[in-house]
Amino acid sequence: MKTYTLTSIILSVGLGLSSLSAATLADAANIDVAKVCDVKANGIEGVLKTAAEYNALAKKLGVEFKRKGVTTSQYITDTEAAVKAKAKEVTLKYTKKGKVKKHTFATTYAAWRACHFAVRAVQQVNEAETTWRLAVPGDGFKF
Amino acid sequence: MNVIKITVAALLMASLASAASFNTQAEKDRKALIAYMEKKFSDPAKNKGSFFPYSTNEELSKRFTKGIKRDAFRLGSYAYDKGGKSQYDEVMEMPPFEDNIDAGKALYEKKFANGKTFKSCFPDPAIAGEYPKFDDKKGTVVTLTLAINECLKANGEKPWKMKKGKMADLEAYFASASTEAGKKVHIVIQSEAAAQAYEAGKKAYYSQRGYLKLSCATCHVQGTGKRVRNEYMSPLLGHTTHFPVYRLKWQGLGTLERRIEGCNKDEGEKPHKPGSPWMSNVLYFMAYMSNEMPVDGPAIRK
Ligand code: HEC
Repeated sequence: MKTYTLTSIILSVGLGLSSLSAATLADAANIDVAKVCDVKANGIEGVLKTAAEYNALAKKLGVEFKRKGVTTSQYITDTEAAVKAKAKEVTLKYTKKGKVKKHTFATTYAAWRACHFAVRAVQQVNEAETTWRLAVPGDGFKF
Repeated sequence: MNVIKITVAALLMASLASAASFNTQAEKDRKALIAYMEKKFSDPAKNKGSFFPYSTNEELSKRFTKGIKRDAFRLGSYAYDKGGKSQYDEVMEMPPFEDNIDAGKALYEKKFANGKTFKSCFPDPAIAGEYPKFDDKKGTVVTLTLAINECLKANGEKPWKMKKGKMADLEAYFASASTEAGKKVHIVIQSEAAAQAYEAGKKAYYSQRGYLKLSCATCHVQGTGKRVRNEYMSPLLGHTTHFPVYRLKWQGLGTLERRIEGCNKDEGEKPHKPGSPWMSNVLYFMAYMSNEMPVDGPAIRK
């Protein structure tokens, strides 16, 4: 009996901790991306932390974004580095057809974008659950 | 005695029914896709209201072909775009991939370090239409690309890159041998696990993804006949019949995996790796949609 209680305490503490640190699909459904990715309201570190949590899930689900040569992961690591260096701007380098190119953004904007990309990627997985069949001929798609 | 006969017959029928039933849904999907494409392109100008609201009458009546049937969709957008088709026919008079087919044949016959050849894994090279297969023992989809690499590994050779080069050359030889032998796409869904892989591929294909929130279907089902960056979009139906493809943009051959990587980028998502479960399941679904269509590769695309 004692062991049982102990295990269940350990279990629930463990679960509690993991729900703090790891984003889930269910969490994603209920959050307002504009709010959680607002740099003024949450601080740049807070926004980047949210970005990292959701992007880890996005990667696990195989839905990470890549916009104009730059993945969400790169947005996160390069923006984190800029924050550490107290830089006002982030330069994101990427290669296209063997040539190195770059985008430069305000650090706050890059953080917002990293967070937005990470959360939206996961939210889209939820949204697709109810929409994908609507596009299948003979199923939800009538013609 | 009669009772036994009846029972045996009933048992036999039941087992036949369940064997057939693993692809019941896939067959429904395939027939509906054919019906959709054939209806849409039966008379594009007349179907403007229902299928092409944003196209001009001029485009639909002058540039598009009418009355397209299933097998013709393997030509992609050239099935309906008259201008694209005449350019295609011109390039096909002197196809730029002949050397690749020869190189592929040489690879097929070349001895591995252990003295064996690809023949030990693929006794008949006319197998382009047989893949992907679902391997019940492994519980995964095996694409032609993966099967080639497995053969290499089993013979102590290093696996190849999966998008171009030797892989594309050997696949070009397989495609050409299959086309010459008059083979058709023949994808089998033989088990519950295979049906699940098919469903996973189908769901991935129809799910909106990436920064632009597009699904493959946005462009290759509902979007067929529309233009993106001045290129007409080809139908899902027939998408796997003719690979590898020589693309003028690439100035060379590429596998299906290479082509899909480009489309992933267009959706604003990190491309899926060739050989990943995502890629294999999507290819399994796509190939099933082309079942019974003639293998017709390699081909040329812009
Ligand atoms: C924004 C629209 C768009 C989306 C979304 C898209 N594609 Fe494409 N795709 C194209 C265009 C444009 C081409 C080149 C013209 C053509 O053949 O359709 C193409 C070509 C292809 C081809 C080559 C056809 C051939 O015969 O050479 C395949 C295969 C393909 N896409 C698969 C996919 C898959 C799988 C997805 C989803 C992961 C996808 N596409 C998403 C626009 C798109």
